[in-house]
Amino acid sequence: MRRRAFLAAASGGLVVLIGAGGGVWSRVPVIPKRPDPDAGQALGWIAHMDGRFTLTLPRAEMGQNIATALKQIVCTELGVEWDTVDVVLHTTDMPRVKATVGSESVMLFAEPLAQACAALREALSAGHVAGQVRVTPRPRADLRAFRAGGLIGSSPEITQGRGIVFGAPLYAADVRLPGMLYGRVLRAPASVEVQTGPLRWNPDAARAVSGFVAVVEECGPPIGQAQGLGIIADRPGTLDAIAEALALEWSVAGQHPRSDIARAIDVDARLSTGALPHVVLDGAPDDGLWDVDMRLDVPMAAHGPIEPRAAVASLQDGALQVWAGTQDAFYIRDFIADAFGLPVKTVTVQSCRIGGAFGGKTICTVEAEAAALTLATGNPVKVQWTRAQEYALGFHRPPSSHRIRARVAQGRITDWDHAQMSSHIMFTAAVVPSWMQRGTDMFAGDGGVARGMAAPYVLGRARAAYDTVRLPVHTGPWRGLGAGPNALAIESAMHEAALVAGIDPLAFRLAHIADPFLAAVLVRAGEIAAWGHVPAPVQGLRLGRGIACGTYKDTSHAAAVADVAVDSQGRVRVTQMWCVHDCGLVINPDQVRAQCEGNLIWSLGMVLSDDLPTAAGHVAAQTFADAPIPRMSDVPPITVELIQSDRPPQGAGETAIVVAPGAIANAIRAATGRRPVRFPVRAEDLAT
Amino acid sequence: MSFILNGQSHDIPPDWADEPLLFLLRENFALTGAKFGCGVGICGACTIIVDGVPARACIIRAGDVDGLSVRTIEGLAKGDVLHPVQQAWLDHGVAQCGYCQAGQIMSAVALLEQVPEPSTDDIDAAMDANLCRCGTYPRIRAAILSAAEQV
Repeated sequence: MRRRAFLAAASGGLVVLIGAGGGVWSRVPVIPKRPDPDAGQALGWIAHMDGRFTLTLPRAEMGQNIATALKQIVCTELGVEWDTVDVVLHTTDMPRVKATVGSESVMLFAEPLAQACAALREALSAGHVAGQVRVTPRPRADLRAFRAGGLIGSSPEITQGRGIVFGAPLYAADVRLPGMLYGRVLRAPASVEVQTGPLRWNPDAARAVSGFVAVVEECGPPIGQAQGLGIIADRPGTLDAIAEALALEWSVAGQHPRSDIARAIDVDARLSTGALPHVVLDGAPDDGLWDVDMRLDVPMAAHGPIEPRAAVASLQDGALQVWAGTQDAFYIRDFIADAFGLPVKTVTVQSCRIGGAFGGKTICTVEAEAAALTLATGNPVKVQWTRAQEYALGFHRPPSSHRIRARVAQGRITDWDHAQMSSHIMFTAAVVPSWMQRGTDMFAGDGGVARGMAAPYVLGRARAAYDTVRLPVHTGPWRGLGAGPNALAIESAMHEAALVAGIDPLAFRLAHIADPFLAAVLVRAGEIAAWGHVPAPVQGLRLGRGIACGTYKDTSHAAAVADVAVDSQGRVRVTQMWCVHDCGLVINPDQVRAQCEGNLIWSLGMVLSDDLPTAAGHVAAQTFADAPIPRMSDVPPITVELIQSDRPPQGAGETAIVVAPGAIANAIRAATGRRPVRFPVRAEDLAT
Repeated sequence: MSFILNGQSHDIPPDWADEPLLFLLRENFALTGAKFGCGVGICGACTIIVDGVPARACIIRAGDVDGLSVRTIEGLAKGDVLHPVQQAWLDHGVAQCGYCQAGQIMSAVALLEQVPEPSTDDIDAAMDANLCRCGTYPRIRAAILSAAEQV
């Protein structure tokens, strides 16, 4: 085995107490650590023995199919056959890697991995079969993995693809252990920001249910301020019957003061009290009348992965093993060690394939529940959330309220003002307590809310600013973070400004774009969609076409065109979509296309359906029927074109979601003459 | 009580009779291909085939398949030889996260057994209640059309 010694894992010192004034001691929560990877660390991801290699995937696999792309890097740089490399998902036994977020897996991990593989290749060819390998980073141009050709730019069968079509146990909930029990932690149907806990229950009735094992009061830390009551059964279906038999009564410490969420984030009400504190663009638009002045509201939305989060925990010889479908196994480990007072070295988290995450599986919840119930019983315990728990206890895309204004003269935008009110994303209330959030609010703002608020255009005197308010429902990262809603507002305003200027929306955008890569995707989208082509009228339908473009995290670009048909009752059908995407060098074009397709379908949802109903400060949705996601019959023919590029690879998992919602909204505007300003669009607003 | 599971007869343990069939399959028989997604028959991640008809294992009482024939994704391949639908799923790179795909594949298999040459409208109608959050729907359509040529 040829493998550099593991770096010492950062750990310890996580439980500290600091003063928060007034003699009150507040516990500092475990905050995820996000070290960028380097080539030395990458040597720990690749192992060689007897002509075979094992790639320990330094990322979570959740459908971005990064296991395939990074294996392509490994095989190319090592110069070895596809079948000689095995891919395994990591455990926390390896040195810490940062959470799998932000479309970073190829962008940040491909080069260190390639550098490590190049060093390993040279060592092997020099006959070294034992001892340490030293990585001397070489220029990127010398790395084979960054040159198109061979495996780079091809699309081999996806890693774990065969397991998926065979139904192999790949996910956390598929783990089965001898003596395993099934658990659930019940929590009050109330805001997670209000103190709640179990008050009274009927243990005798629960005990009478066949399959009942235990009620567990010590069931781990609260979620927000919701303290739970654990139940354990020897068959999973029995948990519903036990929960019902318990007839639980909850203590609930009143109503959350901002239970009216729409009112809490009303941007106009907020603006009437003064300027917004967090400035993204600091231009000073002239006073006076605006040519475009619109208010857009985007509601709260669930991630809606088909896999409700799950974990299995097992205690053996004082060591706790946890199987989890998580975007951050190391954070799960640190959180559990802290919550239960365990030495970090006694806790191991095995990351499993995730059944969809989209930013939502970054915190520690179900894993701590499984750990608590295992510690209470000594048996392995599996916990998988119900769909209703996913809605009630997860965090969600925050609602956002936008006031966006533009002034136009001689075909150009001269002044621009974008104000946004939202809730926290990066400094999510799901991890950051309110006292700490007050500090981040004062000094840092929230980069997740700000993301994409700086429009990718030259806009004259441009101002963009936002504020955040902590809500009774937890909010946090959701595919694209703030960039999706921000771009929807920006692209809607750009379309309106083009109409004011009397200029074609594609040409109008081009006139405001300085970045040649963004201009190129926009022009190409116009070409492949035959922009300017007027569709033949269809009896009883209003047809329209819209366009939008944008940049995600400064370096990846996309443009989209959408066609819609709106019937007399105001029902919208997207009939065709085109997308041109530039994320630099493409390692696996088929899977980058898959990410674009997914984003386009998420965009359909953003405009037409995404909404998470709340009532009295907590989530009211129980099933997919209450928070629908796009279905097959909603999805039109989609054309995706990838720009061939030799720029270093950039992110691809969230870029198209900044453009397709705007294209669809603008198509609805073109079809109906009405500007969608309240999402999801409602048929009654578009009926004739 | 007994049923035919992927061609073989098995007893239904009495204490599992009131469990959802999904949990009997996953936890008792270790057939974890069918997934728990919603528990109320909306998402289709638990789709299996009961006497030739696609069905939601999360809302079927285990005891109610007494005497019936149940097929799960684990029974599709003949050894290493994939069912044409499984092969089409690989050829089209359908899966992203993959969690819903066992249910998607079983719905597709049932469709092709009933309608060997489906139109895209047939596909949309048969598959519309199998949800996928990743957005693999265009590839599912394409994979079913190409599997139809092989079946």
